[in-house]
Amino acid sequence: MQEATFLILTALADGSQHGYGIISDVGEISGGRVRLRAGTLYTALDRLRIDGLIEVDREEAVDGRLRRYYRITPDGSRRLATEASRLHANATAALTRLNPAGGAVT
Amino acid sequence: MSEQADQARLERGYRRLLACYPASFRRDSEEEILAVLLDSAQAGQRRVGLAESADLIRGAVRMRLRPPGRPPRALRSAARLMCLAAAVELGCLITIAVTFSSVRLDILRHDPAHWPAVAAQIIIDAAAAPLGMALWLFLARAVCRGQDWARLVSGALFCLLSAKLIAALADHAGAYARADLVAGGVLWVLALAVLALIFSRPATRYIQPQPQLSR
Repeated sequence: MQEATFLILTALADGSQHGYGIISDVGEISGGRVRLRAGTLYTALDRLRIDGLIEVDREEAVDGRLRRYYRITPDGSRRLATEASRLHANATAALTRLNPAGGAVT
Repeated sequence: MSEQADQARLERGYRRLLACYPASFRRDSEEEILAVLLDSAQAGQRRVGLAESADLIRGAVRMRLRPPGRPPRALRSAARLMCLAAAVELGCLITIAVTFSSVRLDILRHDPAHWPAVAAQIIIDAAAAPLGMALWLFLARAVCRGQDWARLVSGALFCLLSAKLIAALADHAGAYARADLVAGGVLWVLALAVLALIFSRPATRYIQPQPQLSR
């Protein structure tokens, strides 16, 4: 799973969000390291909808413009949980090997 | 230039770039992505930035290069399982051919009266295996193309495999043709997994798309 996909699913994990909300949330989750642009976001959202990992929650008109809210599906939650466990296990293994004595990694 | 004129100019710039996207995506999402682009723009921004342009063009190229109507993961997995089932059918045919003599000798030695029934079953299985292979491959292609009838045929095939497995168990085929019975069981499990995938929500959404929400 690509990092952008992982972060988008993470942004939607605790509730539905619209496109701009996802961009802001991804920036926050990644500590400002990942700044999603609209083209990247909508390519990923389109793919995730096709794969059934997210779905449209509702639509609103704000200042005459369409605002569509997305939510994660149960399949999406499962995929995110699996990927998070995999990343966690890899990170734990790396940190353990870098620091076998239990001291601080420098 | 007024703020409104700046925004109108910026919007025209975004719309020119969004014109590169496939028509189906623009119908569904142009206004939405435009709203996000304008929300993300800096105050007083009049032109589309270079990085933004590159990102939108990259997104448009990716969407255009994506195979049209690429089926969801569930259907792709189902198609792979169906190809595996075709391979199992081939395995069945090979197993029947290889074990035929030993099965025949075994039955004739211990229960010759039962041989005609078992022989008929083996001949039916041997004839059905190539048909089964062709059917599995045909169905795999059909489900990937989103054909709804392929799901019904797959359901019927599962019922047929279930009936065949029950009949084989009732005929004590396990005593004479254990490998064939195991292959039948594997096919039944594969067919069950295929059914779960092709009737899953993502697959149903792809095969029977819902109308877009009203705006």
